[in-house]
Amino acid sequence: MEDPWKREFEFAVEVARKAGAEIRKAGESEIRVMTKSCTVDLVTKTDERVEKIIIGSLKEEFGEGTHCFIGEESVAKGEACVLTDKPTWIIDPVDGTTNFVHGFPFVAVSIGFAVNKELEFGVVYSCLEDKMYKAQKGKGAFCNDEPIQVSDVQDIKKSIIISEHGVDRSPEKVTKIFSTMQKILCIPVHGLRGSGTAATNMCLVACGAVEAFFEIGIHCWDIAAGAVIVKEAGGLLLDVNGGPFDLMSRRMVSANSDTIAQRIIKEIEIFPVVRDDALVQKK
Amino acid sequence: MADPWQECMDLCVEVTRRAGEMIREALQKDIDVMQKSSPVDLVTETDQKVEQLIISSIKEKYPTHSFIGEESVSAGAPSILTDSPTWIIDPIDGTTNFVHNFPFVSVSIGFTVKKEIQFGIVYSCIEDKMYTARKGKGAFCNGIPIKVSGQEDINQSLLLTEVGFKSDPEQFKIMLANIKTILTIPVHGIRSPGSAAINMCLVACGSADAYYHMGIHCWDMAGGAAVVTEAGGVIMDISGGPFDLMSRRLIVASSRAIAERLVKEIIEFDVGRDDADH
Repeated sequence: MEDPWKREFEFAVEVARKAGAEIRKAGESEIRVMTKSCTVDLVTKTDERVEKIIIGSLKEEFGEGTHCFIGEESVAKGEACVLTDKPTWIIDPVDGTTNFVHGFPFVAVSIGFAVNKELEFGVVYSCLEDKMYKAQKGKGAFCNDEPIQVSDVQDIKKSIIISEHGVDRSPEKVTKIFSTMQKILCIPVHGLRGSGTAATNMCLVACGAVEAFFEIGIHCWDIAAGAVIVKEAGGLLLDVNGGPFDLMSRRMVSANSDTIAQRIIKEIEIFPVVRDDALVQKK
Repeated sequence: MADPWQECMDLCVEVTRRAGEMIREALQKDIDVMQKSSPVDLVTETDQKVEQLIISSIKEKYPTHSFIGEESVSAGAPSILTDSPTWIIDPIDGTTNFVHNFPFVSVSIGFTVKKEIQFGIVYSCIEDKMYTARKGKGAFCNGIPIKVSGQEDINQSLLLTEVGFKSDPEQFKIMLANIKTILTIPVHGIRSPGSAAINMCLVACGSADAYYHMGIHCWDMAGGAAVVTEAGGVIMDISGGPFDLMSRRLIVASSRAIAERLVKEIIEFDVGRDDADH
């Protein structure tokens, strides 16, 4: 059967591995921390360097002009963040920068690939654990080449749910986040966890370690790759209001089953976030 | 001068490694889950088998020693710390994680003599990380020395704590309020890995800057307490007073500054004591 994006997929795995090695090396020396939108939204030279390496390698291999790129650090510097029909690489060079700065064990390179606005494959390399998660549409999901699948837990009272506090500490948002946490804990669920990286959280759903992950405030580059991995592992994605998943909406529920997803959706207190593809005034 | 407890520690490492293997094997099969005090307080046969393995292996060599084990206490054994050489054991710290195959599951063993912790072992068995610490001799992970981050600025800190359903609505409210208060100091972030012993080791090796918890048990804390202290960290009671192994609460931190800031922010609630009369 024809696999039009096989070359891109294999190259993505190779590039993610190289990027992960860079991250590990950088973690051995002292890390200078800078901030972006607020004092807890961290970025380092490693984020920027790794993104240049990834995009540079991809442009060299596939030519500039035929493919498009949406990268977290490029967008931070003013590049457009719009998904078109063209083959598009959606990249988070270091997902879990806070973890990276502290040496907390979950740091991932996340590379998703979309054509005609549909996600074709995803690669998430959890580089401190040396776990390569990957999935191509229609071909299953894998961790270090072993097939993975979501858990079969259907009872919300036997589930572990993941969510994150995010970097926005404004009181209205924090109040809603905590209210949601409280409602979910009171179901009760087995536990609430958070690894600190959305891409890793989605892989934890995909390999069955947790039943669902939801968050409001993430970005397309955090979830593009994980979205394919979760789906190919037998899970599903929805918007936090129960509608269809929207990659640019900055919010998402990923779960092992519709039953669990719907039950979580009932409890989520939604707050507004600006879409990734909203037109923003350049500085 | 010969170390009177080195042999005990060597046996402890060996037994702990075997226990970790038993846990990894059990993860390959289906796990039957039972509940203890509530629907979120889980236990399995593996918890019980692992504790039996640990206690029987140690009793064979040290028949006069005392034991405080989580599952033995659950089954009615006393939980009183005496001057006797005492092994304080959590066979599976992170049973919920174990049931779900979430990566943080540990065996935790602390050894006390005259109520003072002499050594601690925490084996994070899915990660295959053996944390060890002998009083006065430093802390190690897989034989490599570890130390705390030394972070003193709360605004640059990454913290650990756990959230869980509490049947007491007032305590539940305070638990969440504490996390919200600390998050909005602001700190860099708060994570919940799901195993107290591993949380303590994450502080010990500098991956996190502090961990606080009200409601754990002596068997969750005894192993990690040695590891954090020997890694240069600080350990104290939630009130700022000295750490009390039977108090069911603690703060461990990379520095006194971070610990004292947390003491300021945390609202306490009563969690009872491990050595209280039932």
